[in-house]
Amino acid sequence: MVMPGAIWLLLIRYLPMLGVVIAFKNYKAQKPNTFWNNLIKSDWVGLKNFQFLSSPATATMIRNTLAYNAVWIALVLVIAVTFAVMMSELKNRFMAKAYQTMMFFPYFLSWVVASYFVLAFLDPTSGMIPSIQKSLGLKPTQFYMTTTWWPLILTLSNLWKNVGYSSVLYLAAITGIDTTLYEAAAVDGATKPQQVWHVTLPGIRPMIVILLIMSVGKIFNADFGLFYNVPQNSGPLYPVTQVIDTYVYNTYANTHNMGMSAAAGLLQSVVGCLCIVATNAIVSRIDSESALF
Amino acid sequence: MKKLLALILALAMILVASSFALAEDLPTITIMFHGSNVTDDTAVLEAVNAYIADKVGAKLEVIWGTWGDFDEKATNALLSGDAGVDMVFTCSWSADEYNTYAKNGYFVKLDDLIAEYGADLVAAIPESLMQAATIDGAEGMGVYAVNGFKDTATQNTWDVNVTLLNELGYTLDDFKAMSFYDFGELFAKAKEVKGDAFYPFLVEPMVLERMVTGSVIITGDSGSTNLLSLYLNQDDVSADGPEGNVLLNKFGTEEYRKFVDKMHEYYEAGYVDPSLAVAETSNDTRTNAQKTGEYLIGTQSYAYGYEYSPDVLGRGIEVAFVPCTEPYVDTTAAQGAMMAISTASEHPVESFKFLALLNSDPTLMTLMNYGVEGIHYTLDDNGLVVFDADARATYSPWTNGVGNVTILPDTADEGAGFREAFKAYYASAKAIPAAGFAFDNSEVANEMAALGTVAAQYALALDAGALDPETTLPDFLAALDAAGMQTYLDAANAQLSAFMAAK
Amino acid sequence: MQKAQRQHAGLNAFGPGAQALFHGVLGLFALLCILPFAFVIVISFTSEDSIRQIGYSFAPLSWSTQAYGYVFALGGALWRSYFNSFLITVVGTLLSVSICVLYSYPLYRKDFRYRGFFNFLSFFTMIFGGGLVPTFVVCKTLLGLSDNYAALIVPLLFSPFNVIVMRTFFQTTVPGELIEAATIDGAGEYRTLLQVVLPVVKPGIATIALLNALAFWNEWFLSLLYITKNMDVIPLQYLLMRMQRNADFLAKNAGMLGADAAKAARNLPSQSLKMALVVFIVVPIACAYPFFQRYVVAGLTVGSVKG
Repeated sequence: MVMPGAIWLLLIRYLPMLGVVIAFKNYKAQKPNTFWNNLIKSDWVGLKNFQFLSSPATATMIRNTLAYNAVWIALVLVIAVTFAVMMSELKNRFMAKAYQTMMFFPYFLSWVVASYFVLAFLDPTSGMIPSIQKSLGLKPTQFYMTTTWWPLILTLSNLWKNVGYSSVLYLAAITGIDTTLYEAAAVDGATKPQQVWHVTLPGIRPMIVILLIMSVGKIFNADFGLFYNVPQNSGPLYPVTQVIDTYVYNTYANTHNMGMSAAAGLLQSVVGCLCIVATNAIVSRIDSESALF
Repeated sequence: MKKLLALILALAMILVASSFALAEDLPTITIMFHGSNVTDDTAVLEAVNAYIADKVGAKLEVIWGTWGDFDEKATNALLSGDAGVDMVFTCSWSADEYNTYAKNGYFVKLDDLIAEYGADLVAAIPESLMQAATIDGAEGMGVYAVNGFKDTATQNTWDVNVTLLNELGYTLDDFKAMSFYDFGELFAKAKEVKGDAFYPFLVEPMVLERMVTGSVIITGDSGSTNLLSLYLNQDDVSADGPEGNVLLNKFGTEEYRKFVDKMHEYYEAGYVDPSLAVAETSNDTRTNAQKTGEYLIGTQSYAYGYEYSPDVLGRGIEVAFVPCTEPYVDTTAAQGAMMAISTASEHPVESFKFLALLNSDPTLMTLMNYGVEGIHYTLDDNGLVVFDADARATYSPWTNGVGNVTILPDTADEGAGFREAFKAYYASAKAIPAAGFAFDNSEVANEMAALGTVAAQYALALDAGALDPETTLPDFLAALDAAGMQTYLDAANAQLSAFMAAK
Repeated sequence: MQKAQRQHAGLNAFGPGAQALFHGVLGLFALLCILPFAFVIVISFTSEDSIRQIGYSFAPLSWSTQAYGYVFALGGALWRSYFNSFLITVVGTLLSVSICVLYSYPLYRKDFRYRGFFNFLSFFTMIFGGGLVPTFVVCKTLLGLSDNYAALIVPLLFSPFNVIVMRTFFQTTVPGELIEAATIDGAGEYRTLLQVVLPVVKPGIATIALLNALAFWNEWFLSLLYITKNMDVIPLQYLLMRMQRNADFLAKNAGMLGADAAKAARNLPSQSLKMALVVFIVVPIACAYPFFQRYVVAGLTVGSVKG
C-alpha cells in the first residue's frame, strides 16, 4: 500500500537531497558539463556560503521571523479552535455552513491580490485612510515609510488568511467526535461549556498537537508573500518586515549565488528539524498518543 | 542500355534516399530568448528551418522566454547542465550574468569558432562590441558570447512635457538652461496651475540619482541597488571624471548629500508622488502617469528614435528628451544583449553557425524578428515594413534581444533611413575610460549580500526624497560601514586599477 | 447522518445569548473574509482612468467592462488554459488522494511493522528538501517531466502534510474494533480499507481532496519551470502569473533596460484585466467548495460504528 507514495518520495524528494552538498561547495560547470558531474567535481568551500547569514541584519530578521511566527501560532490556534467550536455549536446549521464557506475564501486569493486590498487602504495618494486624514485636515500617515503600524497590519493579514483554513481542519475533527460521548456527558449533567471542555477539546487534541508541532517546525520559515507583497517590499519598513525568506530572496536577486540560497535553505531545515524533534519529545512525554513519531 | 538506365535509376534512388536520410538527421538546436511575446511561431520556424538547413546544417527550436520567466528558466537550464538548451541570451543585467557565467564555465569560448566560421559575423558588428565581449572566462581571455548590435550606449535624459512647460510660461530653452537644483520654481508654478493632486516631478529615483551626480553603473555591482559609482566627465565622456578612475561609495559623497537634501525639499513640498518611493509601486505609478502625460519633468533612459515610438506619441502632449550628457559606452550598455552557447550543448558548431548567421544575415534576422512576409508584415510602396496587427500580436520577439538590429529593414513607423541613422548614432558614441570593466564580486559576495540589504532599506526612499537625509543618511552610512563597505570598495578598486593598468 | 449532527448541536445547547454572540463574531469575521473578493470584482469592473486617478477603490469614478473584453479576446488560449486547469486539478486530485490514503492507512494501523520508518520517510521531507536545481534535474532529465501534463501533476502528487492529516483522521474516527471485526469476517486488507474504513473517513477524504484540489488549481510555478515550448498545456493560473511576473521584472529592471522597459511596459495588461482573470480563477474553486464542505461537515462515524 505504501509503495506508490514511497517511490514518489524516494525519487522526487530524496534523490534531489544529494544536492544539499551545494551548500558546502563552490558549484561551477565542469567538463563535461552535466549536473551530477558538476556536483561531484566542484570545490569544497566549507562554511563559506553560510557567512552571508552573519550580517548585521541577521539579528533583526531572525527576531522578526521568530517573534511573528510564535505570536501567530498561538493566535491562530486559539482563534481557529474557538471559531470551530462556535460553528459546531450553532443551532442554525445553514448559517454555520455559510460562515465556514466565507471564512475559507481568503485561502483562494494570493498575497499579491491581498496586497492590492491593503494598498487600497494605505496608499499615500489615494488610499482610504490617508484620504480620510486629509479631509479631516490632518497630515496623512506615510504608511509605507513608517514602521509603527506594520506588526499589526501583518498580524491581521495573517489571521485573515489562515484562521478560516485552520478552523475547517478543526471543525472536520470535531465532526468526527463520537456523538455518544456528548450524550453520556449530558446524562451526567454536564453543561454545554463543560461538554466543550471535557469532550470537544480532548477530541480534537491530536489535530491541535499535530498542527502545532508542524507550525513549530516551520518557525524559521516565513510566509514569503505576506512579508514581501503586502508591505510592497518597501525598504524603510525592513526593520519590522524583513524575515529570513525575504532576506534570502533579496540576496539572491542581488547576487544570483546558488551556494548561498542552498546554505540558507539547509540552515532553515536543520533548525526546523531540531525544533520539531524537541517539540515532539515534549509532546510524547505528556501524551504519547498524540506525538508525531 | 537498359542496364545502364537501371543503374542510373538505382543511383538516383540511393541519392534521393540518402538526401532524405540526411534531412532527417539534421540535429536540433535550441535557443532561449528573453522578453518575448510569442504565442505562435509555427510559420516563422518553418521558414527559418527551410532557410538554415543548408547554411547551418541544423533544425532550430526556440524557447520564447518572457520578462517574468527568463531568469528562472535560463539559470535552471545552465546550472543543471541541460543539453536541451544550446544557446541562451545573456547580458550584464540578466540572472545568467555574462561575466560570472563565463567565468564559471557555463559558456563555450568562441574564439576558435569565430576564426573558422565567423568571417561574416566579424564584418557585421563593430570591433568595439567584440572587445566588450572579450573577457577573462573559464578558458582564459576570449569571446564567450556573440554580442548583439543594438543601442550600445547609455544616455539619460530629462523627459519634458513641453505642452505644460509652455503653459507655465517657459520655453524649452529656458528649461535647458536650468539644472536639477533650479527646478523648484517650475514645480511650484505647476502645482499652482494644476492643483494639489498633481505631481510635477515623475522620476525613477535611482536613475535620477545617476543623472544628477553624473555616475555610471558598474557591471557586477549589487544588482537592484547599486553601491559603487564612478563619476563621468560630463563635458567629455571619454575623458577621466572629476574623481579619476576610482570607485566611491555613492552614498558617501558630498554630491549625494546635496542631491538628497534637494530631493527631500521637493518631496516635502509635494512635487513628488509618494508612491514613487515604494519599491513595488514605484514603476506602476510612473508608467501610468507617463502614459497620460500627467507630469511636468520626468527621467528617461533614452534610445535613439524613442521620441517617435507609439508610447511617446500616444501621450497626447508634446514631449522633448533633453540629454544630461552625450551617449557613452560603458560595460552595461556594451554587454546589453548577447547570445552564448552552453557548454552542455552537444552541437556547439551548428549553434555558432546559427548565431553568426543571425547576426550578419538580414534575411534570417528579419524572419526571426518581424516574421514571414505576407503573414506577419507586408512591404509598402517605399519598401518599408508594415505589420499585420493581428499576426504581430501572436509573434513579437524582443527585437534588441534577438541580435544585430542594424541589419533589419526600416518599418513604416520608423521611416526610411532609420536603421542607418541609428547605426551612425551609436557608432559615434564615445567610450568612457573604464568601459569593459566588470567587477568580479565572488571574493566579497558575503559583504555584497549584506550591503545590498542595507542599501535596499534606504536608497530608494532617500533618492525619492521620502526620508530626511539629516536623520537617516548618517544611519545609512554607519550601517553600510558595519556591513563591510570598505572591504567591498577596496576589492573593487584593486580590480579597477589592475584593469586600467592593463588597458 | 445529518440527524446525528443536529443532535450534537441541540443537546443541552448554548443559550440564545451565546448563540447571538457566536453569530456576531463569526459573521463579522466571515464578512471580512469575503470583502477582498468583492473588492477584486469591483476592480475588475473599474475603468483604467479611475485606477490611474484614484487607485484601487470600492467606489471608482467610472465603471467599465473593458477588462472582460480583453479576457475574452485572449480567446483560444484562455479556454485552452481553463480546460487544462480543470484537467490537471481533477486528475491530480484523484491520484493524490489515492496515494495519500494508501500511504496513511498503514501508518494508522498499529500492527504495521514499518510504521515508524514510513512515517519518518514522509515527514522528513516536510522540513528537508534538495533545493530547486537538483529537483529540476531529477524531474526533467531522469523522469522526463518536461512540456507535458505529467510535469504539472507528478511533482505535486504527494503531500506529507496531507498524510499526517489523513492519519489523524484514521486515528480519531476509526476504532480498532472496526478493523478487528472486518478481519474476523474474513475481509482482506484492501477490502477492509475500501468497504469498511473509507466510508467512515469520508470527511477526512473530503478535506484532503479539497487541499489537493486547491494546490493543483493554484499551481503555476511548475509551469514556469517545466513548460518551455509546449504552451498548449499551461493552466490559467500561469497565464495570470506570467503577466504579474512580466510587470514585476520590468519594474525592477527599468533602469537597466532603459527605453526598452518603457516600450515593453506599454504592452502590459492593465490591473483590471488581472483582476478579471483572478475572478475567473477563483469562481470555479469557490463553487466547488460547498460540494466538498458537505462531506467535511457531515459527521459520519456514529452510524458506522453502531451498525
